[in-house]
Amino acid sequence: MSWVLARGLSRGWGSICWDTLSGSHFSQCWRWNPGSCAAKVTPQAPWSLHYSTVNHKDEAWLVPQPSEPQRKPIRVLTPHEELFRPSPDGERDKASFVGAVQNFRQYSVHKRGHVDFIYLALRKMQEFGVERDLAVYNLLLDVFPKEVFRPRNVFQRIFVHYPRQQECGIAVLEQMERHGIMPNKDTEFLLIQIFGYKSYPMLKFLRMKLWLTRFKNINPYPIPRDLPQDPVDLAKLGLRHMEPDLSAKVTVYQMALPSDTPGAEDPTQPHIVGIQSPEQQATLAHHNPSRPVFVEGPFSLWLRNKCVYYYILRADLPPPEEKKVEEIPEEWNLYYPMKLDLDYARGNWDNYEFDIDKVTEGPIFAMCMAGAHDQGTLIKWIQGLQETNPALAQIPVVFRLARSPGELLTSSGLEGPSPLQAPPQGQEDDHPLQPLQQQGQSGVSGA
Amino acid sequence: MFGCSLLRRAAAVARAWQGLEVLRARRRPLHTSPQCPAFAKELFLGNLELKGIFPFPEVSQDELNEINQFVGPVEKFFTEEVDSRKIDQEGKIPVDTLEKLKSLGLFGMQVPEEYGGLGLSNTMYARLGEIISMDGSISVTLAAHQAIGLKGIILVGSEEQKAKYLPKLASGEHIAAFCLTEPASGSDAASIQTRATLSEDKKHFVLNGSKVWITNGALASIFTVFAKTEVVDSDGSTKDKITAFIVERGFGGITNGKPEDKLGIRGSNTCEVHFENTKVPVENVLGEVGGGFKVAMNILNSGRFSMGTIVAGMLKKLIELTTEYACTRKQFNRNLSEFGLIQEKFALMAQKAYVMESMAYLTAGMLDQPGFPDCSIEAAMVKVFSSEAAWQCVSEALQILGGSGYMKDYPYERMLRDSRILLIFEGTNEILRMYIALTGLQHAGRILTSRINELKRGNVITVMETIGRRLRDSLGRAVDLGLTGNPGFVHPSLGDSAVKLEENVYYFGRTVETLLLRFGKTIVEEQLVLKRVANILINLYGMTAVLSRASRSIRIGLQNHDHEVLLANMFCVEAYFQNLFSLSQLDKYAPENLDEQIKKVSQQILEKRAYVCAHPLDRTS
Repeated sequence: MSWVLARGLSRGWGSICWDTLSGSHFSQCWRWNPGSCAAKVTPQAPWSLHYSTVNHKDEAWLVPQPSEPQRKPIRVLTPHEELFRPSPDGERDKASFVGAVQNFRQYSVHKRGHVDFIYLALRKMQEFGVERDLAVYNLLLDVFPKEVFRPRNVFQRIFVHYPRQQECGIAVLEQMERHGIMPNKDTEFLLIQIFGYKSYPMLKFLRMKLWLTRFKNINPYPIPRDLPQDPVDLAKLGLRHMEPDLSAKVTVYQMALPSDTPGAEDPTQPHIVGIQSPEQQATLAHHNPSRPVFVEGPFSLWLRNKCVYYYILRADLPPPEEKKVEEIPEEWNLYYPMKLDLDYARGNWDNYEFDIDKVTEGPIFAMCMAGAHDQGTLIKWIQGLQETNPALAQIPVVFRLARSPGELLTSSGLEGPSPLQAPPQGQEDDHPLQPLQQQGQSGVSGA
Repeated sequence: MFGCSLLRRAAAVARAWQGLEVLRARRRPLHTSPQCPAFAKELFLGNLELKGIFPFPEVSQDELNEINQFVGPVEKFFTEEVDSRKIDQEGKIPVDTLEKLKSLGLFGMQVPEEYGGLGLSNTMYARLGEIISMDGSISVTLAAHQAIGLKGIILVGSEEQKAKYLPKLASGEHIAAFCLTEPASGSDAASIQTRATLSEDKKHFVLNGSKVWITNGALASIFTVFAKTEVVDSDGSTKDKITAFIVERGFGGITNGKPEDKLGIRGSNTCEVHFENTKVPVENVLGEVGGGFKVAMNILNSGRFSMGTIVAGMLKKLIELTTEYACTRKQFNRNLSEFGLIQEKFALMAQKAYVMESMAYLTAGMLDQPGFPDCSIEAAMVKVFSSEAAWQCVSEALQILGGSGYMKDYPYERMLRDSRILLIFEGTNEILRMYIALTGLQHAGRILTSRINELKRGNVITVMETIGRRLRDSLGRAVDLGLTGNPGFVHPSLGDSAVKLEENVYYFGRTVETLLLRFGKTIVEEQLVLKRVANILINLYGMTAVLSRASRSIRIGLQNHDHEVLLANMFCVEAYFQNLFSLSQLDKYAPENLDEQIKKVSQQILEKRAYVCAHPLDRTS
């Protein structure tokens, strides 16, 4: 034990150190120096230590290892896997999950192997769709034996008491944190019963109590938890998310047709959803028709774990000589003067704009999201826009489409196929996009 | 000690000298200067221009007798024959009531006598307004007819137009309406859509367009219509400018929408008026072609002062009704009138009525001085003050009545509904505050130009002078603008109030200078600042008016002048402290100045277009 102690001190066991400890430390210790360790550390509960020894034969524990909770238990915990087998009717829901946990508690009255079971259960939660259920987390914590791991004296409190169990408790809390589940009073009572006040899970709990509440609403532009499945709805959500003007109107220019519609020439008809604010409409109406406007994209937008792509219709900044000075008409306001006839301006002390760097950019006229990333689809968008913006018919439109939206594609590919996420046509068949690569070559005048 | 006494003696000498000056000024005949000194504008420079203000304007005994003769029958008619409740319920004024109003000559009060009107002066007109106010719908109908509807003809009409239209309008045979507002154009003249195009033979204008919320729209046969016309500029380019027309219903193509259902003044007729290819002869252009903007402005500016007496008349009536109730209703064996919180409300109503009456008659008196003085700021101040006081007082009166006030059986709820419009029409109070503040700042800004430029350039003498003055101000100087003293303009029993007014005026002038130095011409954008400037100015004008009136009452020994002194002093003290607060809010670094926070809050709300706070019952855990 003294050896362990010295080792621990020299490593400077702090609040994080136990993270790198795996259960094997103490199991080894138990094997090497059984008398002292058992006497000091686990007078009441030697079984938990027994269990781990079986599986960790490696001597590599001297080298600090990154903890791999994902892997290790898989190898280890086949014993309890059968608890989570799908029931005959194949239902995987909260009831069957709770049933599995209760089965474990009945089957193992002495809670043998509860740490491994909890790790396994944590991994299984998503399958059962209970990863956002606070009650289930509390149920999992309830699996721990009570009072056993509470430190009894000051030394136990100073050094990590039952590190493997504490680590497991923290793993439960961490998974809660990942899914944004706020622990409640029940969680607190359970943790106190299991680990006591001065323990790392309790510290984690307090930190969660403090910070999760503060971070919960940190995003000023919240996204609904469950994103709509329909790509059109998703596109509407994404466009609204980007557009600051609340009077902007979302228009569905084209609805997606199922690809197997009989008789259609073009077997697929992608959806096109656009957004435009009245102000953008006015700017477009006043655009100098001799200057082209550009369709640019695709740009990526992440909505939770989904990536969608959008296109913008924009123009270059008009040259300064074309900029119209907005003059105040002489006969404007019937009631009070709109400008004072004085020849001195605002004093420097009240000029709050003097240190603001303003980067002026060209105007953006509209945005859209489409189900296909080819020029043909975007031309249809422009045609749709012309109905509400007659001025657009006189303005040359230049398509500047990047071939692929970049590295984000691969990550979105992981999320599961959806007509939106796949950068589909772009990768599968390069030909239609080929001419678009040279920027601005394919001008469509008055498409 | 010595220095102190020396200072005091110097001040006394100065005061005496000023008193002499005052005497000399008074002996000077009044009508030597053709232009009325702009009282409100001078306030912006920290000066009290007392000519025309002190003594309080009077009417001659003959005029008074004449108006009293006239007031009698009108009052009798309104109390005995006008059923306001019925008018309100049915949404129209009965025909026989209208006929009686016509026969009393109330449709031509300000039309000159040679055209068959009564030819009343502004003061007399204001006096009659007090009586007419007994019914909101009737006063609005009459005001729309003569304060704006036919005013254009009196102000800028040619001799032929006057002779052709005024007699019938004055007799009430024809009713006039003022058509300016459009769906897209409230105070924004540039967005007027109604268009008048000159016909081929150049004898007619063809009028097309729609006007909304036209009072008397369905009753009127003569319309003053504002429309855009093409005007060739001096440099040969064509421009759209506004022109005013006199349009008869007989010209054809005029249709009305259905009468609007309104919150208050339900008896007055308000509707849309559509013009479709209405042919208007060229002779019916009011003023010049392209000069309609000025015409509209003049008409709107000229009619506002009368709201002061209209509201005062209503408040007096209201006080009579509510005192009756308060002195008879018993609770806990005591009359309502014995409770302090009820008494306070009567004091408030009396004070507001007194102030607005003083302001309105002072303004009317100034307007009646020879030389067509420009008192539009003063008139706007009267309108803002009286409309807000009306709303506040009627609301307090309702409070005295308790539940009965809320019931349709009593007239109070109708008065409340009727008075709400006062804050909105004839230019909303917000807009008028901008007008008050900006017109004055324009005047002050021009006069201060050289001084401010020198300060900006860093002219040593000007800067030192300004710093010296600030130092003296911060040590608490006694301001003396010549109101008090022996003999002073103000009666000694109002001396304290006069000193307060002088102090406010002086520091207001200083603040205006600072504001102009800080914001320059961009002050147009600082609406919160402008609002406070206007509020201070309204208070200053109110203080001046009550001091002038109460001083006169004491000196000539009017009945109950001690009551007037009470009211005047009360108002002056209240206004003084309000002004001090507003002045400190105008200070950039004062803790009272919450402009930044106000702007931020509203910005966040408007961005979300909703109330942004989380619900108090929401939790995060």
